[in-house]
Amino acid sequence: MKRPLDDFSAEIEAHIALEADRLQREGMSPQDALDAARRRFGSVTQSKERYYERTRRPWLEHMMQDVRYAMRQLRRSPGFAVAAVLTLALGIGANTVIFTAIDQLALHPLPFRDASTLMSIETRKSASDEAWTSRLDFDDLRRSVKSFTSLAAISPVWNVVMTGRGDGERLEALYVSSSFFPMLGVPPGTGRGFSDADDKSGAPGVVILSHEFWQRRFGGDPALLGQKLNLDSRTYTVIGILPAGFFYPGEPMAGTANVIDVWMPLAANQIYNSPRGLRFLKVIGRRAPGVSPLQANDEVRRVGAVLASQFASTNQGYEIGARSLEEQAGGQVRPMAALLLGAVGLVLAMACTSVANLLLVRAAARRREIFMRVALGASRVRLLLQLLVEGSLLAACGGVAGVALAAAGLKLLIAAAPASLIGSRAMTLDVRALAVTAAYALASAIFTSLPPAWRMIGHAEIGAKLRENAASVAGGHHRLRSALVATQVGFALALLVGAGLLLRSFARLLDVAPGFDADRVATISTQLPSSAGTPAQRTAVYRQIEARMRAVPGVQSMASVSRLPLGGMNLGSWVWIEGRTEGPGAQPGSEAEYRVATPNYFETMGIPLIAGRTFDDHDNATAGTVCVINQTMSHAYFSGQDPVGQHIKLGMNPEQQPWITIVGVVGDVHHVAIDAPPRPEVYRPYAQNPLGSPVLVMRVAGDPALMLETMSAAVRSVNPEMPAYNVFSMRELVRRSNAQRRFVVMLLGAFALAAVLLAAVGIYGVAAQFVAQRTREIGLRMALGATPQSALRLVLAAGARLILLGLAGGLLAGAALGRVAQGMLFHVSPLDPLVFAAAAGVLAVVAMLACSGPAVRATRIAPMVALREE
Amino acid sequence: MPTRIPILQGTLDLLILRMLLFGKQHGQGIARAIQEQSGDELLVDHGSLYPALQRLEDRGWIAAAWGTSENNRKARFYKLTSAGRKQLVQETSDWRRLAAAVFRVLDPQ
Repeated sequence: MKRPLDDFSAEIEAHIALEADRLQREGMSPQDALDAARRRFGSVTQSKERYYERTRRPWLEHMMQDVRYAMRQLRRSPGFAVAAVLTLALGIGANTVIFTAIDQLALHPLPFRDASTLMSIETRKSASDEAWTSRLDFDDLRRSVKSFTSLAAISPVWNVVMTGRGDGERLEALYVSSSFFPMLGVPPGTGRGFSDADDKSGAPGVVILSHEFWQRRFGGDPALLGQKLNLDSRTYTVIGILPAGFFYPGEPMAGTANVIDVWMPLAANQIYNSPRGLRFLKVIGRRAPGVSPLQANDEVRRVGAVLASQFASTNQGYEIGARSLEEQAGGQVRPMAALLLGAVGLVLAMACTSVANLLLVRAAARRREIFMRVALGASRVRLLLQLLVEGSLLAACGGVAGVALAAAGLKLLIAAAPASLIGSRAMTLDVRALAVTAAYALASAIFTSLPPAWRMIGHAEIGAKLRENAASVAGGHHRLRSALVATQVGFALALLVGAGLLLRSFARLLDVAPGFDADRVATISTQLPSSAGTPAQRTAVYRQIEARMRAVPGVQSMASVSRLPLGGMNLGSWVWIEGRTEGPGAQPGSEAEYRVATPNYFETMGIPLIAGRTFDDHDNATAGTVCVINQTMSHAYFSGQDPVGQHIKLGMNPEQQPWITIVGVVGDVHHVAIDAPPRPEVYRPYAQNPLGSPVLVMRVAGDPALMLETMSAAVRSVNPEMPAYNVFSMRELVRRSNAQRRFVVMLLGAFALAAVLLAAVGIYGVAAQFVAQRTREIGLRMALGATPQSALRLVLAAGARLILLGLAGGLLAGAALGRVAQGMLFHVSPLDPLVFAAAAGVLAVVAMLACSGPAVRATRIAPMVALREE
Repeated sequence: MPTRIPILQGTLDLLILRMLLFGKQHGQGIARAIQEQSGDELLVDHGSLYPALQRLEDRGWIAAAWGTSENNRKARFYKLTSAGRKQLVQETSDWRRLAAAVFRVLDPQ
């Protein structure tokens, strides 16, 4: 029944009159008393109170209050605070380290000014070819291309031997055009850079040393400037020293651990005056202001097309294009970038969920407090803000601790990473890394606060009602924690799947027969002295080395080859096949890798003979020219035919080359890398083409690692000018070629392990809470005759439900991660059922073990104790 | 004027019921009594007092009738019903638990 408004107004009037009477009795005049009564009635209306609240206590004041409150709360439970901050710090720190590494290796790999305007100009016949440009094409590009303010050319890494200053030392050298250093904005640390006059055929030899080589070999002696060095028996004047720490991260350096010791002008290179068909240069350019990468690429392509029509015999089929140098230099790391960032992001997500879980436990303990604050009128927004402040405080501490951990972690990463990945660069936590850390911390703050906030809304409703049954609160609470833990199980499974896929790829890789028997084989590279100029002289020195090596106890045989196995892509040679690709203007059949080997190379390396014969000592300089090809070449160019007895020519000018008879077919060797398919390959006998820098291969009795020193000494004993470098046991070489994959497997394995541990802790916590909440129920059931086994089943079944839920989600997440990992996989499907099954199995077992502790405790609940508890 | 604690909605209901335990009273009298008995700590917001009285009346915990005050003013007097009496017992015990809990939280040990 509704009261009429009049009635209500009359009541208010009565109220005011009664109040006025009272005030009058206290001594006020009637009028004053009435005014005061009216004023008092209207003075604290809710609307006015709200206005007051809004204007007088701004949000900042609230925030400060919340921060103080949150700090008090954390101080009160230091165990929780430390656990939460540490968990977040590990997650954030790991992300900072991985981001820093990927940022500096893949996204911003060039430590030069305006690196984004640097481009790589690449000549290719097909997309999979390694890009090399000929010198004449480089000159034409430099003359005609307008999109670039400057172009520079870089030779492949060249080995030169320095003599005349004690023991001969083999140095890594690059020949660069005089525009190279000015373009990168690198001034010489001491002395001067290359002038255009230095970079001309016939100019006096000049050399610039790396700071590191100068320090190592000459103790940083400033008097070296202007002195002469003997490199490959030519004299060079030292004109400058580069600044400390300078390195060129683009190709050809990418993928090698080489550190360049000396730099010389391009014109000083022995093949500088080579024909247009010889492509051996990397070309880089700095884009002119206002030119887009696309425009630059277009122009370079147009010039390439003109060159192709103008010089059809050498350039037909070749395209020239330009792409970002950052992209080229970071290319090697990019396939793994997304995978690693994703994986480490999942670890942070797991850390956040764990902390959210801890916060929920605390929220449960603070349930009454929240009821109370709601009952006392705290607004929900206020409570939510307070939880967010608490999460932010934890995340901020985690972020600060994370940066400290990241600094240490980065050192660890650099120490653990293969040299081929990091090279000589110094990685540091820079502004970008710190900004990203801050972003991670913010995300952590939100993600850790959300679940408790969600819970709090529930509390707030319940608090408002006050008479709600506490048990149902706890029930809802448990559901949320369970959901979080199921999420953790899912994330952990995804990471396990990712790690499993890579591990299986790695196992597949180890299963690949490299094509040779790496056991008990060692290799040493050397360079014959410049005095050995003619083939006959070279053969004589080689025989000498062989004799010394055979005298080393344990050495069973020594052979030699022109290139180290697993040494990456080589410059191939054109192949002309008799009867197919002949006559003037004919196109070469295809390309092949080209190696020169001694007769016993195949036997020493354990490379099987498939057909025909290998070389023998009759295949000497005077006999007819012969070669051996590998199986891939046999299948690719002679399918259905017997290649033995066929004739081929090699090189660019078949008219000037002799026919070579194929005498045998040998097994494929993974010469480029274990995970790259073998390329067609031609071996020619050493005696017909003695090389200046043979790679020696020794088969020994026993562990070759222990004999490396003695064998190196044997090489040097022949002539002190001869260096011994790239000294490895073949096993070590195989291991190195896998180093990058092993490193990624290791990282992902560590992330997966962390994830599984976090998930196990989470499951344990939820199971323990489950048992604690049901102590009474379980006790009652036992009092009514239930067996301990049934209590065990109850807890395990609850755990299993949770785990199954998590696993189901995790399989989907794992499939997504597998897709990201695809570029890193080797002969493994991203949906490999074995990996998924094994990962799920391992996780299920670990998770059930985590449940079993609380489950066993449930069986020991004494009915009477449980009943007395409430 | 010293700051006083505004009374919260749920609490106000309880206090009103309590004030009516010893006899009927009008709105101004209830507000005055709460203020005095709390040692002037509690401030009854009139904006919530009358809606609260209305609510309690609707629920049948109090009954109202117009009457005359000691000083001959016409006023609406409220009195506790038997349902209201039961409610008072229930709410008092709830409140005591709540208050005890608040104290435990605010001053652990």
